[in-house]
Amino acid sequence: MRTSKLWLTSCLELECRVVRRYVCRKIKITAGHRRRKIAPKMSWFKIGQPKKQIVSKTVERDFEREYDKLQKLEDQTKKLHKDMKKSTEADLAMSKAAVKISVDLLNNPLCEQDQAFLEAMNALDTAMKRMDSFNQEKVTQIQKTVIDPLKKYSGVFPSLNMAVKRREQALQDYKRLQSKVEKYEEKDKTGPVMVKLHQAKEELRPVKEDFEAKNKQLLDEMPKFYQSRIDYFQPSFEALIRAQVVYFTEMYKIFNDLTDQIDQAGMTDDQRQKETEAKLSELRALSIVADD
Amino acid sequence: MEVPRRLHPPTLTLTLANAASAPPCAIGPKQKSSRRNGMRQRSRLEKHGGPEEEEEEAAPEEKVPSEEDLLEETSQLLDISPARHSRLSSEDSVSEETLESEEMLEEEARRKSEEEKAAAKEREAQRQQMSVEELVQSERSYLRMLELSTVTIRSSLQKLQPPPAGLDSMFLYIQEVMDVSTRLLSKLDQFQPGDPRFLENLCESFLALSSDIEAAYKEYLANYTHVTVLENGYKQKEALWREIVTIVKSAAPEVNASSLSFFLVMPVQRIARYPLLLQTIQKHTDPAHPAFALLEQTAHTSVALNCRINEYKRFREVADKYKKTENLTIRDKMVRLNTHSIAKKTARFSQHIKHETGMAPKVVDEEFDALEGFFAVLDHGILQLLENVETYLLNLQGFLECRTEEFDFDMDGEKSAVSYKEITTALRQWVLPTFERRMRTLIHKPLCALRDLLVGPRNLIRKRFHKLLDYEVIEGKASLTFDEQEVVNTYKTLNTLLLNELPRFNGVALQMIWSMLGTFSCLHKDLTADMEQLFQSFAQQLPHSFLSDSAFWEWAESAVLDGARNLQALCQTVEETLNAPAVQPLSPSSQRCLQQLTGKHGSGKIYQVTSSVVGSRDLDLNLTKGELVAIISGADTRGDKRRWLVDAGGRRGYVASSKLVRYHQAAENPPPSPHPSLPESSTGNRRYSYSPGAPPLTSQPCFQVWAAYSFTARGNHEVSLQAGQPVRVLEPHDKRGNPEWNLVEVSLQCSPELQSRAALSGGV
Repeated sequence: MRTSKLWLTSCLELECRVVRRYVCRKIKITAGHRRRKIAPKMSWFKIGQPKKQIVSKTVERDFEREYDKLQKLEDQTKKLHKDMKKSTEADLAMSKAAVKISVDLLNNPLCEQDQAFLEAMNALDTAMKRMDSFNQEKVTQIQKTVIDPLKKYSGVFPSLNMAVKRREQALQDYKRLQSKVEKYEEKDKTGPVMVKLHQAKEELRPVKEDFEAKNKQLLDEMPKFYQSRIDYFQPSFEALIRAQVVYFTEMYKIFNDLTDQIDQAGMTDDQRQKETEAKLSELRALSIVADD
Repeated sequence: MEVPRRLHPPTLTLTLANAASAPPCAIGPKQKSSRRNGMRQRSRLEKHGGPEEEEEEAAPEEKVPSEEDLLEETSQLLDISPARHSRLSSEDSVSEETLESEEMLEEEARRKSEEEKAAAKEREAQRQQMSVEELVQSERSYLRMLELSTVTIRSSLQKLQPPPAGLDSMFLYIQEVMDVSTRLLSKLDQFQPGDPRFLENLCESFLALSSDIEAAYKEYLANYTHVTVLENGYKQKEALWREIVTIVKSAAPEVNASSLSFFLVMPVQRIARYPLLLQTIQKHTDPAHPAFALLEQTAHTSVALNCRINEYKRFREVADKYKKTENLTIRDKMVRLNTHSIAKKTARFSQHIKHETGMAPKVVDEEFDALEGFFAVLDHGILQLLENVETYLLNLQGFLECRTEEFDFDMDGEKSAVSYKEITTALRQWVLPTFERRMRTLIHKPLCALRDLLVGPRNLIRKRFHKLLDYEVIEGKASLTFDEQEVVNTYKTLNTLLLNELPRFNGVALQMIWSMLGTFSCLHKDLTADMEQLFQSFAQQLPHSFLSDSAFWEWAESAVLDGARNLQALCQTVEETLNAPAVQPLSPSSQRCLQQLTGKHGSGKIYQVTSSVVGSRDLDLNLTKGELVAIISGADTRGDKRRWLVDAGGRRGYVASSKLVRYHQAAENPPPSPHPSLPESSTGNRRYSYSPGAPPLTSQPCFQVWAAYSFTARGNHEVSLQAGQPVRVLEPHDKRGNPEWNLVEVSLQCSPELQSRAALSGGV
């Protein structure tokens, strides 16, 4: 009888543990969804809410507004960083593909058969390779002046977020101790209660000061940091535009020369299309060509 | 056996100068002036259309002879009249001159013969006239019929609901045929049939138009197989076919037409009829006639024309048969397998092996090999180019997908950010999409089309190789069976076809590649021009646009570096002031530990473990994150400053210094608790040792002491000592605070057991 009871309890315990673990995992999962709002995050802790308003509504609102701005900035920085990286990668891949067009053609034995074709392909190849190297230079510059700064900038956010988290922890501690103090204050002023009240007050003091210092620091730093983005990014954007200007000026020269060399000048798209169509139908008219 | 290299050997027309001789082409039947033979030739011409065409042929063939018989009859009828006339005149002369002398008779006979000659000449002339008129008349009625079929019948067919499928392809080339026929007629009409120059004109017109005639008819004839297939398709649908027949009958009630092909076959018959008509005219023309030579030439031209068209049709058929890629499933292929095909394949394979091993000489055709090589290279080049262009476009698309303008840094007042946004928007919405569209229409699409066109020649080249293998096997044989002859013919046809058309194909395809690359360059030129303009227009408004390139980059890089520095400074302040470990309320046990350690070592020596450590060496401690320790010594016994000896509230040992940080107590430490928690009572009874005159506990951890008595260690935590040996006392008590035991360091010992208790004997 006793053993069975024991067994039952241990079973129950086990089950509880399993359930608890499951719940824990669930909480973890939801916590993984980047819950940005800080205030409700801790609310289910319910460590006793002090009656006294310890942080004024306006301060809390200011804080949240500043922090929201920073969070938005963080998102945007990350997004831009990602997009920039992807776009420069695509840009490089594009010029690489263009180089491959000319390299493959140049390696094609077609060139051996036709001197003029070989010359044209050489011209094309030179142009493509120059384009690629200019592009690489451009991308390096963009990397240096745009992407790296973006990365650095977004690297600041984790420590800021951590600071905000610390502030929040300090606030929770503050609240907890405050409510403890309040609890003793409400009780009869007997000897042991007075001792405990004194102890609690002693405990509260450093925590309160810590929170206030952190709060003030953050309220100071956050707008400053937010403001810093303008001076920080302004050179990046200017460099970004300048790099492209330089690049495309060079490219225009290169392709202008190349076009003079290998293209029939002054054809409109329609003319080109007609000409290709004519060639294609000439080919289709051959008996050896299967035309579907 | 000589391989026919060209479709039109230049000698062909010359060889054909004699109509009676066989043309050199394989199909060339004996041409005889007889109409019947001519008809046979025409039906022979049709033979290559396949069996179904022969059925088609049956009806018109019956009709045409009847027409011709009629013609023959009429011409005979006409022949009679002049003959009778001459007979009458001769009778008259006989009645008049019976009394005349024999000389007279002779003379008369001569005259008569002259007259007869004249009459014969007259008859010939009339016959010539007739046949000429026949040509013109039949051309006219032929054209009328064609018009009837294309205009009336076709429009009525189009009105059918639903309109028959493929109707347009049925009348595909008939317009060209009608055009050329109209032109021929209008030329003929320049002179009246009686005009002496008429014949000359006829020949010249025909000769002038012969190439046009050939071009028009060859397409029509090549397409005719398709027409019959289509018509058979219509016949399958009964309701539709009934309607079609009604339309055909109502459109042309005067002829007994009962199908569409009644009209559509006409060009096929007509082209074969030109030689016959011309030869008839020639037969009835005096060789002395000024146009005779011309006429002869025209007749030969018309025959050659037919031969060429016929050859063209045959080539087309062979090409059509082999140029398509068959998409067969494995199952289909299995079904197709039979002894014949296996035998064929094995024979080819063995022949191929013979080539490879050098057992049999390969038939080498340098011209073809060169063409084929060029084609292969071209093929490869086109595929590669297409692949690269596709990669390029793919990356362009990837570039377009990066929405780099869609950021919001709340920098609306900043020129550079706003400019960049505008530029990128313009780029993504307008410049690059235009470029991409042009790339696709001007380069990618034609390239795809070109790639599709490569299939036909590729298949034919492969098939030619197969047929060549077959051909080589039977090449030496003296007599060939029908099947073998067929193989030889197919090979030769394929070979000739490729030799004729591959150079054109290669040339045009190369031109296309060339022009596409030109376009590629031009598109880039336009793109870069647009881009340059776009960026330049904005760049000029930027605050640092006045700087030269190098100065600008210097500025930009230093500005970026400055920014980074500022950022780092800011980051540091944040880290230091805000991320410093907060005064976390310690758990009661660590609170107790803290108090104990502070009490023992003073608050300045308290460190916190930053991350959990697992000891790996002797005397290392295992500690968890956040645990508090007091530092006893800043180096290990060997002076290694990276290993600190610490007190972890009882346990002592080494920890890597990097894992420890100074524990900052809250600015104003709460005064130590008035009642420090005391450890449990000392356990003096654990061991028995004599320690007289234990020195009073001081806060100074170090003493220079000597061992008063020898002591032998009994375990890991104890150290053996000789009496009088100097030791360094690190802690004047054990880890439970028992002052009877001291923690000492014995310097002489190589590896002194540090965390050991030694009997202390001797004073300071």
